[in-house]
Amino acid sequence: MLIWLLSGPEVRFWRASIKRPPTPDAEDETDREPTIQEIINIKLIESGEKERLKELLRERLIECGWRDEMKAICRAHARKKGRNNVTVDDLVHVITPKGRASVPDSVKAELLQRIRSFLSSTAL
Amino acid sequence: MVLIFGHEVETGGVLGCGGLWWFLLAEPARYSTPVESFQRVHNLTKLCVSLILIMSTPADDNVSSNSQLSSDLFGDLLDSIIVDVASEAHRIARLGLDRNLDEEEVELRLSAEARARASDPSHSGEANGKYVVDIFGQTHPPVANEILECMNCGRSIMAGRFAPHLEKCMGKGRKARLKATRSSSAAQNRYSRGSPLSTHSPYSNSTGPNRSNGSSGVAGDENSCGTLREL
Repeated sequence: MLIWLLSGPEVRFWRASIKRPPTPDAEDETDREPTIQEIINIKLIESGEKERLKELLRERLIECGWRDEMKAICRAHARKKGRNNVTVDDLVHVITPKGRASVPDSVKAELLQRIRSFLSSTAL
Repeated sequence: MVLIFGHEVETGGVLGCGGLWWFLLAEPARYSTPVESFQRVHNLTKLCVSLILIMSTPADDNVSSNSQLSSDLFGDLLDSIIVDVASEAHRIARLGLDRNLDEEEVELRLSAEARARASDPSHSGEANGKYVVDIFGQTHPPVANEILECMNCGRSIMAGRFAPHLEKCMGKGRKARLKATRSSSAAQNRYSRGSPLSTHSPYSNSTGPNRSNGSSGVAGDENSCGTLREL
């Protein structure tokens, strides 16, 4: 069917349309200025700092038992809902409020400290 | 140009913006239509203005937006870790691996409770009268009180009194020895020297040097009380 389509008179139309410059919509998206947040985000990722911060946070949360708590909550929820009826999305929505609230203050302070020092070290 | 919009501006910011502007304008335009060029210039202007404004805000504003940014980034990191935990828990749930963890969980909980009880100052453990509290929080009476049946004489004996009873019943005691030598001396001669007296004794017939079987001693076997206590 593709060959049939490629051989008809429509092909000329398509070829002509390919030569046209792209529509303004596509151009607008690429030219929209990135927000400060996006700039910082890109800088974080590119320098590898984001990965380091994530590893540090993960390590601290495992040490303080936060991860085990969250897994226990997930397990209880899965058992309640039936093992085959849970979705990742569901579990994320279950854990997120409790998880955000139960991060120990020392861990949070340490990470915020490191993020702030990174922000101040990179010139805006 | 140092005072823009009534705020003091770092000159570096202005220079940076100016440099950026020049650089971007000097880049050859990819598209020839004037509308598109104008749009690009417009967007660049907006970028420069926003950068200037960021640098020109007073100090505490900067700090608060900085801390807002930090909190946002922290939230971002935390979200990705939450997703990791959730997906791992989801995998465990779907594969049924959490069935194996159940018993561990119960055991962990029990040992935690026992530890709490043990460290609780109200339970002093050894010093608490005659009931000793062990690490699981169970108390044991000084004498075990389960009732068992002696396989030799068929009487029901309390577990704590079982070993001494067996001693007497099976032959360490004087009366038992007398009874044995009188009644089953023929059987004794057939088996080895250290054999127990009763035919339905479960312990092995060859004691001799082999004391660990716990077999009862006959005359001359002084270690029998030691081995019986090992029971």
